[in-house]
Amino acid sequence: MNIKARQAMIIASAIFIAVILELTLLSRLGLPGATPDLVVVTIVALALAYGPLPGAIAGFSAGILLGLAPPFDGILGLEAIIFTIVGLVTGAVVDPRDRSVPVIMGMVGLSTGGVVLLNALVLAVLSGDRVVWENIPGLALTSALYGLILAPLVVPGIGRIVRSLTPEVAVV
Amino acid sequence: MFPRRLRVVVAVLLGVALTFVILDLRGGQGPFTSARNVASSILGGIERGAATVFSPITGFADFWTNTRDQKARLDELEKSNAELQSEVKRAADDRARASALDGMLKVAGLGRYRVVPAEVIAVGPAQDFTWTVTIDAGSDDGVQIDMTVLNYQGLVGRVSNVEKRTSTVVLIVDPSVSVGARVAGSQEIGILSGTGKQDALQYQLLDPLATLDKGAALVTFGSKDGRPYVPGVPIGEVLNVAGTAGQLSRVATVRPFADISTLSIVGVVVRPPRTDPRDSVLPAVPDAPVTTALPSPSPSPAESGAQLSVPSEIPATEVAPSP
Repeated sequence: MNIKARQAMIIASAIFIAVILELTLLSRLGLPGATPDLVVVTIVALALAYGPLPGAIAGFSAGILLGLAPPFDGILGLEAIIFTIVGLVTGAVVDPRDRSVPVIMGMVGLSTGGVVLLNALVLAVLSGDRVVWENIPGLALTSALYGLILAPLVVPGIGRIVRSLTPEVAVV
Repeated sequence: MFPRRLRVVVAVLLGVALTFVILDLRGGQGPFTSARNVASSILGGIERGAATVFSPITGFADFWTNTRDQKARLDELEKSNAELQSEVKRAADDRARASALDGMLKVAGLGRYRVVPAEVIAVGPAQDFTWTVTIDAGSDDGVQIDMTVLNYQGLVGRVSNVEKRTSTVVLIVDPSVSVGARVAGSQEIGILSGTGKQDALQYQLLDPLATLDKGAALVTFGSKDGRPYVPGVPIGEVLNVAGTAGQLSRVATVRPFADISTLSIVGVVVRPPRTDPRDSVLPAVPDAPVTTALPSPSPSPAESGAQLSVPSEIPATEVAPSP
């Protein structure tokens, strides 16, 4: 298999597994606050491993897949926009030479928390009555916290897979 | 700042996503409906499998959630235990009457709601602000859009989307959901809306002069042809009432009977009752003095289950074939 196909396979399967795990396992654990956002953590991990362009593509496809998977009832494409931005920004902002733990954890926390805020903002503009503002701080904080818990499990794992299967295009 | 190729690709991605948003916002039968149906039936099938694989883990999570509020329940149970101890002594007569009533209600319950049992297999992320779940029954099981979904405790929601073997349920706590509700006993009607909080609904009485007491139970008012809500399903009890009689709008906070956070087995009402069952499906309310004495007159699963007894009476195999 050529390098592009291998890269696409890795991105597709990582996102697919993350979406299924988030909807059938993590959201049913009954944890307080937000649902652990494994999808966003996976996008951040892919963007860190591959850079901004594959990161943005990964975010876009994750958003579309999450929009198609039941029980989604919102607006198709909304999460694709937000996740594309997350992938792009993560890949672009983080310097490949500075992969210290605080930087990565900060990126994950910002992304998982920020996705909640962005989602609420865009939803409020498009269909105002759905957003419950008093829940937002709690949701954003718990989402960031769960993201920080998931990050040490997901980011190094995806990084290792990327480096061993597609060493040619890995950023580090 | 970015190389040219990156800028072009990101612009295309964002443009495509924005197009989806705009097309989807127009509502109705958009160009994606069929593509979406295909995708969601495939993904729904995969989710069914994954839910089965993860069921030991999610089952443990339910157990863990229950353990967390056991301290409060312990105090509550100790109090009510003392209450019940004294009640047992004068209960013999009551019990005979209650069992007669219970048997009668069970007979009356037969042929009332025709229910397809189903299990919740996926839950929408809380940060999407949509309170929806996926259940493992679909058009193959006779489920259609806008059917009522309930569990042994009370109303859960309505079906919003149906695939072959899965369907999506919008829960009553979703902020976009409104249910016509009637106060059991006084027959006052009003509108119950979700608030996005799993333990509180908002009830607005249509008649501002009507009296509404704390602890009063609400049942569904029913819709035309039983879609989306069949009549007589218990919804919840009034926690507190804001405003006094005569004020322009009287709003009450209602706690749903159904525990939205730990849904597992639900039933989809595939055939509404021939006549409105009025208040007979409500969980048993103790006599007035007992109500004031108990710390929380919440219905225990056992007694409300015995009263409702809906899912157990009609096995899935009896259900009418899909259209």
